[in-house]
Amino acid sequence: MKKVLSLLLIMTMIFALTTGCSSKTDEQPAENTTNQDTAAQAEKEEDNTLVMYTNAEFPPFEYFEGEKIVGVDVDIANEIAKDMGKELVVEHIDFSSIIPAVLNDKADFGAAGMTITAERQEQVDFSISYVESIQHIISKKDAEILDMEGLKGKKIGVQLGTTGDLAISDAVNLPEGDLYNSGAEVKTYKNALEASQDLLAGRIDAVVIDKLPAEEIVNGNEGLKTVVFGDISEAYGICVKKGNEELLNSINSTLQRLLDEGKIAEFIENHSK
Amino acid sequence: MTKLENFINSFNKTFIVEGRYKLFASGISNTVFIAFFATLMGIAIGIFIALVKTNAKDNRKLFILDKICSLYVTVIRGTPVVVQLLIMYYVIFVNIDNSILVAILTFGINSGAYVSEIARAGIDSVDKGQIEAGMSLGLDRKKTMIYIIFPQALKNILPALGNEFIALLKETSVAGYVPIIDLTKAGDIVRSRTWEPFFPLYSVALFYLVMVVGLTAVQKRLERRLSESDRN
Amino acid sequence: MIEIKNIKKSFGKNEVLKNINTEIKKGDKVVIIGPSGSGKSTLLRCMNLLETPTSGSIIFQGDNITDKKSDINRIRQRMGMVFQHFNLFPHLTVMENITLAPVKLNLQTKEEAEENALKLLERIGLGDKKDEYPSMLSGGQKQRIAIVRSLAMKPEIMLFDEPTSALDPEMIGEVLKLMKDLAEDGMTMVVVTHEMGFAKSVANRILFMDEGQILEENNPQDFFSNPVHERSKEFLSKILYNI
Repeated sequence: MKKVLSLLLIMTMIFALTTGCSSKTDEQPAENTTNQDTAAQAEKEEDNTLVMYTNAEFPPFEYFEGEKIVGVDVDIANEIAKDMGKELVVEHIDFSSIIPAVLNDKADFGAAGMTITAERQEQVDFSISYVESIQHIISKKDAEILDMEGLKGKKIGVQLGTTGDLAISDAVNLPEGDLYNSGAEVKTYKNALEASQDLLAGRIDAVVIDKLPAEEIVNGNEGLKTVVFGDISEAYGICVKKGNEELLNSINSTLQRLLDEGKIAEFIENHSK
Repeated sequence: MTKLENFINSFNKTFIVEGRYKLFASGISNTVFIAFFATLMGIAIGIFIALVKTNAKDNRKLFILDKICSLYVTVIRGTPVVVQLLIMYYVIFVNIDNSILVAILTFGINSGAYVSEIARAGIDSVDKGQIEAGMSLGLDRKKTMIYIIFPQALKNILPALGNEFIALLKETSVAGYVPIIDLTKAGDIVRSRTWEPFFPLYSVALFYLVMVVGLTAVQKRLERRLSESDRN
Repeated sequence: MIEIKNIKKSFGKNEVLKNINTEIKKGDKVVIIGPSGSGKSTLLRCMNLLETPTSGSIIFQGDNITDKKSDINRIRQRMGMVFQHFNLFPHLTVMENITLAPVKLNLQTKEEAEENALKLLERIGLGDKKDEYPSMLSGGQKQRIAIVRSLAMKPEIMLFDEPTSALDPEMIGEVLKLMKDLAEDGMTMVVVTHEMGFAKSVANRILFMDEGQILEENNPQDFFSNPVHERSKEFLSKILYNI
């Protein structure tokens, strides 16, 4: 017993130590990291590339076409890169890992149909919003799930880390949430497609997800319908590392241009089959 | 001072805010639950296959069963467990609503293939003289197996079965590919809320480590007790 | 009791037994000797079908046990066998070693089997070891318990396969003594051994084997003092020289 305790103690200490170190790097980068950072930056400048991280499981904003990642965000990013005279590189990663990648300079920016939230703004800076997203509820045609009330006691599928996930999880888990203690259950999926498969299989009753993927899914599956989910509307933005004013300004000016030209609506149209 | 504040802040965000520790708690309990029952199932399947395989040599009736078992072992060992899980969840067991049950079935079936090899080695490691001694007393093959070979084989494979449980505890970390909140997924969920990878990931790793170290200690103790009862 | 007719046994291309014919009568104490690799252990193991002869037949008490239809498990219940390496069951106590077969084969109740086992153990002076595991016993004790384990089945014949070869020299005596006692009680025995003293004093017949054949079959007095076959002479001269 004593051994176990002391072992635990040692591990906690190591844990605390490493935490301490990493916090330190957060604040004032240690010499090594700085060197690496500048090296990485120098390299980036040399290759003249612009690295975008996304999670290509979110059509029509980003998805794989063969081996290529395409989608609305990719089209936008291409415009940004063009305006900056750089070459765009798109990397696919877990949705949850996009912001960390931006934070440690693996990515120049993240664009993944990402909702601008206060919690995320603590970590990164967001561009102006380029799409107003509305959450939808997908259900079987014969089901009557139209709003929060209808979700009570239901099994609800969401995509991990998305706005729908955050909203529904809060509603189910927090005592002040609308679905708290209603018997409702959240099931988190890696992507919306899998959630909709389980909906078809009857394992869950509804999927809460952004409007555009919701419409895609319903178009692809007879027997499903989608309705607007109350007034949880969200704005998408592109995220960059805090303080990276130069890049943020470039992104914002391109976004503004695209919005003015009506290009973004066009991109969405193009990628919605 | 700021280091400590950072630590407390991260700790707070990872565990306290919105009662996230509950997420970790249910993640741990699901992980242990899945791994435990999958191990039991794996042991049952594995021993069955090992018995078929060791007896197929002298029993022609088992020929087809033996081939089926070989196919099963080849397929399971030749494909990644994540792919098996996705196939089980979205195709084969699409009518089972309980995703934890599907995970237990998947990891149990997966583990069975590996345990069968362990069990076979365990049976083979029992001295041939033991079978002869049993038979020379007039026991038939089945009784010799049950009363003489099997208990000894079990003793040989017990440590390996402990390892299997420990291995499964870690392997089930892919359970989150389907809507299950295991320990890893719990960390993922928290990570998707806090936008901070460090603390949730290290916490998840630490929880696994503590479980594995604890189980290894228990296993060592059991092994010692076993070898005390039989020092050859 | 056992008739051995034209037994041949090959392992692959290697012919280990070449046309063996002999008979063991009730009350016989037959000792099989010969150099290693002569096939003597194989012959013994053929008698209870631990090895299946390639051809030929073995008739035990009128039953042809080499016939596929015969129930060899039932026949083995009537033939005890003692191995060079004892082959006690290490996961069972001495008592359980002895009672396992009679109880699991429904020949005796657990109480009967234990009573009988205790009697046998006390006869060999190991009554106090009944709850020990084999790993706690000396080699000589293990082998005597292995013999008792066979006796618990009340066999009609006992087969011994080099019962003292794996023992430390100081333990051989106690095992041979027990075997001698058994012989005096009238047990039919077939013994493969290198213990010439035992052969001389206990056997009523010696089989000398070499290269898969019985080269000489005789009573011990004549065999040891007047071996007929060249090979027997050579073998004995080597062995006796060592003594």
